[in-house]
Amino acid sequence: MHRRRQSVRSLRFPRHEGAGRRENGIVKKPISRLAVVVGVMAAFAVLAAVGASAHTSSKSALKAGGTLRVGWEQSFGVTDNFDPTGEYLGDAWGVFELEVRTLVNYPHVAGGAGNTIVPDLATSVPKPTDGGLTYTFHLKSNIKFGPPVSREITSHDFVTALDRLANAKDGGEYSFYFTVIKGWDAYAAACASKAGCANKSISGISTPNDTTIVFHLTKPTGDFLYRLTLPATGPMPAEVTKCFEGQPGKYGQDLISSGPYMLKGIDSINISSCSTIKPDTTGYDGQTIYDLVRNPNYVQSTDQYRKNDPDEVVFTVDASNVDIYNKIEAGQLDMAVSSIPPDVLQKYATTPSLKQYFHQNGGDRTWYLTMNLTQPPFDDIHVRKAMNWIMDKAALVQAWGGPTIGSVANHIAPDSMFKNQLAEFAPYKTAGNHGSVAKAMAAMKGSKYDTQNNGMCDASQCKNVLLLADTRSQDPKMVSVIEADAKKIGITFKVRTVNGAYPVIQTVAKDIPIAERPGWGKDYSDALTFFEPLFDGRNIIPTGNTNYSLVGITQAQCKTLKVVGDCAPYDSATGLGVPSVDSMLDKCSPLIGQPRLTCYENLDKYLMTNVVPWVPYLSSYVTRITSSNVTHYQYDQFPDDPAYENITLKS
Amino acid sequence: MSSTAPLLEVRDLSVRFRTRDGVVQAVSNLSFMLRRGETLGVVGESGSGKSVTSLAIMGLLNRAHADVEGEIFFEGKDLLKLPPDELRKVRGQDISMIFQDPFACLHPMYRVGKQIAEAVRAHADVSKSAAWDRAVELLGAVGIPNAAVRARDFPHQFSGGMRQRAMIAMALVHNPDVLIADEPTTALDVTVQAQILELIDDVKREFDIGVILITHDLGVIAETASHVMVMYAGRAMEHGPAHEIFTAAQHPYTWGLLESMPTIEKRLEILVPIEGSPPSLLNPPPGCPFHPRCKYRFEPCDNKRPPLAPIPDGHLDACHLSAERKREIWRDRIAAELGVTA
Amino acid sequence: MLIYILRRLVWTAVVILAVLFVTYVVFFELPNGNPALRFCGKEPTEQCIQQTDARLHLNKPFYIEFGYFVKTFALGDENGWPGLGYSYGNYISVRTEIIQRAPRSLWLIAGAAVIWLTTGVGIGVLSAVKRRTLADRAAMGFALVGISAPVFWLGLMALYVVWKEHFWIPGLNHLTGGSGYVPLSDGVDHFLAHMILPWSVLALLYAAIYARLMRNNLLETLGEDYIRTARAKGLSERQVIFKHALRASLIPIVTIFGLDIALLVGTAIITESVFNLQGLGWLAYNAAISQDLPTVLGVVLCTACAVAIMNLVVDILYAFLDPRVRYA
Repeated sequence: MHRRRQSVRSLRFPRHEGAGRRENGIVKKPISRLAVVVGVMAAFAVLAAVGASAHTSSKSALKAGGTLRVGWEQSFGVTDNFDPTGEYLGDAWGVFELEVRTLVNYPHVAGGAGNTIVPDLATSVPKPTDGGLTYTFHLKSNIKFGPPVSREITSHDFVTALDRLANAKDGGEYSFYFTVIKGWDAYAAACASKAGCANKSISGISTPNDTTIVFHLTKPTGDFLYRLTLPATGPMPAEVTKCFEGQPGKYGQDLISSGPYMLKGIDSINISSCSTIKPDTTGYDGQTIYDLVRNPNYVQSTDQYRKNDPDEVVFTVDASNVDIYNKIEAGQLDMAVSSIPPDVLQKYATTPSLKQYFHQNGGDRTWYLTMNLTQPPFDDIHVRKAMNWIMDKAALVQAWGGPTIGSVANHIAPDSMFKNQLAEFAPYKTAGNHGSVAKAMAAMKGSKYDTQNNGMCDASQCKNVLLLADTRSQDPKMVSVIEADAKKIGITFKVRTVNGAYPVIQTVAKDIPIAERPGWGKDYSDALTFFEPLFDGRNIIPTGNTNYSLVGITQAQCKTLKVVGDCAPYDSATGLGVPSVDSMLDKCSPLIGQPRLTCYENLDKYLMTNVVPWVPYLSSYVTRITSSNVTHYQYDQFPDDPAYENITLKS
Repeated sequence: MSSTAPLLEVRDLSVRFRTRDGVVQAVSNLSFMLRRGETLGVVGESGSGKSVTSLAIMGLLNRAHADVEGEIFFEGKDLLKLPPDELRKVRGQDISMIFQDPFACLHPMYRVGKQIAEAVRAHADVSKSAAWDRAVELLGAVGIPNAAVRARDFPHQFSGGMRQRAMIAMALVHNPDVLIADEPTTALDVTVQAQILELIDDVKREFDIGVILITHDLGVIAETASHVMVMYAGRAMEHGPAHEIFTAAQHPYTWGLLESMPTIEKRLEILVPIEGSPPSLLNPPPGCPFHPRCKYRFEPCDNKRPPLAPIPDGHLDACHLSAERKREIWRDRIAAELGVTA
Repeated sequence: MLIYILRRLVWTAVVILAVLFVTYVVFFELPNGNPALRFCGKEPTEQCIQQTDARLHLNKPFYIEFGYFVKTFALGDENGWPGLGYSYGNYISVRTEIIQRAPRSLWLIAGAAVIWLTTGVGIGVLSAVKRRTLADRAAMGFALVGISAPVFWLGLMALYVVWKEHFWIPGLNHLTGGSGYVPLSDGVDHFLAHMILPWSVLALLYAAIYARLMRNNLLETLGEDYIRTARAKGLSERQVIFKHALRASLIPIVTIFGLDIALLVGTAIITESVFNLQGLGWLAYNAAISQDLPTVLGVVLCTACAVAIMNLVVDILYAFLDPRVRYA
């Protein structure tokens, strides 16, 4: 084997003289990782400590009037970007009270008085003529649009607003209230067509001069005045709104005020042409802040119901309701549009020093269990009555959080809507509202499903009935109460839980027998808004349906809507079938005044005793908590919100 | 020519590992010496304690788990008593070690030249560029062609043999007095093995250092070792000059090793292994550790441990068999090999 | 390498398109009712529903609608490129919205990332080096707490203790910390005062994970042969750990770090909500519950892009860190 010799001499490492080979090697210390960590954190602390700049004060010096700061939970959640034409969010209507005046309005107070009609931009509240078909309004003088439009409001400006509401492309959401105006449907159809409605108008609205506007209706409509309090009917300047054709919601960021306040910064928007109009992001940035300042063109003497104490009203979105109430307590916010954490609710309700900041008002909202009249065993009125007797309503209210949340509901509409005239009507009243087995069984007797005639629902259709529940914190607790109570009369449930139950209940073909989720609040304080959408059989649509119980549904409708159930008309001998109240609704709608009220009251009574579509259980309060800056709190019954313009702050 | 004063002297070294199952006697009462110019081949099966011994010398045993007793003298100092900082100065500078699998032993993410340069700067205050130049020089000297370019390569770009050469270069950076090579060729091809062994041998001669060559393969030691120590179960079984071990082995274990080794000269029909397996080091058997597998065991083997003692005209050996008996066995074995009866 | 990057970018674009497509499908197939209903008031009429469907582009099958979306996206709309349309709820340009919200989320992630990387790695190294001592057990205990504590609880506790009860550093009370986002332009000190808590809370979970990961990686690396060689060379223990062991054990951390950061874009919903930062996560959540498809798509796009880009960055970085890795 050939050995390859290599010189390895060069491997010899040079020796150091003197000190010998074992010389200390200097090891470069890498910067210790620990040192880096500590250094970084120290740097942060130091930076945070460099607080040489002027500190931001949480309590600015309050001028006379002050700034009302309102926190808003999670997100504005608006349906049309604060554009009055399509905005349907109740809390947004509370904000509109500051910027939008309508022909007629409310006094912005709490209780029944808060639901009476008073003049706002009209000189007086007219009585209809021509057998209830014609309404004539005269406008006040000295009413002007806010900057940058800054001109007198005329009758044509109301036409602009209503045209916009009729044109579906502009995002209107409650134009169905105005189809009673002559020519409304024709105009709406023209707008939807290819030709468009550019030089057309609604024939039933006429403007003989700049200060007069006349409405011609197709039929007498007793609550027509209430419909004209809705914010979409407030005047709009056509020179601005024409730039937002077919862009629903965009106008919300350039809303021109007709009220005491206007969007901050709207005065610097250039409206000389459509291309120069930019969104007023200082006033409303679209997501997090809605800032209103005084409208310089507003004349206080034209308005006797708004006091307009605050100089500025600011709504800011805060992702956390815990944070909102911390800020209210610290005085950094004054009130909130927000759900209240239970511990905060408890604290303010029970602490004597805090009780003055705890405000409760009737909310005009009823919460109920809805029963589907086409689905056994609820197609039998005996069973529905028994359900009303057996339910422990006090326990259901407790599931919501107890008496601070609201009071037990005994019939369909909230009492304030009937001016408390129906307050004593409680056809299923039991001791302590705990329900009564004896009365329930008595009601059950005679039912087809009580085969042994002993007051128990024992047929097979009484077992494993589908109960739809939602996932709010109170829902599981309610479900336990409902299941336990129904069992006492022999009904058992199969519970199906859905996050967001409404879309399911609103889909007719799903044939949901019973659901515990629904609540209904008024649109405006007329009983029509409570009864028509809920019980008119002709309004039933396949999705988005609000007549959950399917009152008045016909067999033909069941076929087209693919409902599988008992759609036969009501037979009072057996108690089976679907009753209808359509004719009663038609009778009530043209009436006005007390006769109107009485008619609807009777309808309520009839529904509760002869139809029994619901088990109503809760009439909820609207609870608001204010900070110590608020010296006077006022509630506005119309939007179920604080009357922001009538709040007074510490000065 | 070897100088008379020993470079490294190990006296009565014992290493015990504290494990969950008990105490493992990895090395027991081991003593030997290494002189300049010597290559000590340490032979044994896996688990015989040879690697542990070298780790003990280098101070690489984790003292938290290992009890090390005895003395290891180097340049007048007992390495086992040195504080860690002092020991660190010895490591890599006076005593260097290379390991079995050069691929796993080089950091995969640093260039080879950089790793060698690092070794330079570990014990000498020189600039980075000077250290790099040194590294290139060393790589060339161990036979890496085009060293300046190859130094910038990463370990995975070297072949097995080149990697081991680089390891050797790294070990020799500070001209150590002792080079310990733990199975340096086991992971290499046969042809490359020879080159590496030759390189180690050249280095030993050029620098006049002592080499400890640890292996389980007698063939590796055959060419290059000057002395051989046979280890079994943590103890030395036989220790003597290489040619004596190969031509006149005394211990039955060594006989077994030699017998089971195929060579060109001897044609075996079948490989003859040593029957049985190494003992558990948790509970070493009393007496001679090899006795359970020894063909020639007799009465004292299972209860009295044979000391490592010199035999007349021979080297160190730990066996109870008398010299006469061994000669007898020798005769029988040779006769059996030649196929004649004595 | 360049060809590789180009190839990856093309593939990334395909993946992002697929993600958006899946979002479309999910949105259309979700049994959550027709989003058009939200715009038709309490008593929706058929006519209103149909017209809203047309307006929101909901009346055609989802693949056709997706086609329109891709077209607008590629060609841009009047707000610039990419064209992301308008939010259903408030007619705001989605693109503008995202550009506005993104810095908040990005600042949150950046700050938290720095904190968790340094503390996590630091604690992990300490733990590995001092294995089985009290320091190690304490560190791993901290890791357990950090991984288990829910973010919303931590966030609320932190807000309560630090802001409400003023356990703040004395002398800094004038900095009204607490919730909400203060942009850097309003003052570095205020910015930091508001961000310190969200950073810490978000970082805590990740720091704990990284500490454990680092510890395990480092322990494993310390058992490698080349570490023994390093010691045999006579390197100090500090050099062995920080130059040899750390370099190898950091690589998996780098990989995960990139992905963790990317995934937080648009998904740090809880932290953003508790501290009222109103970033992309908050935007995504609101959009999802109000069925605002264009905004949801916009945020999904951001997250998908972030993940795809960080994926690519990490892969490239990996090739630089570990020379054994080479891309064709």
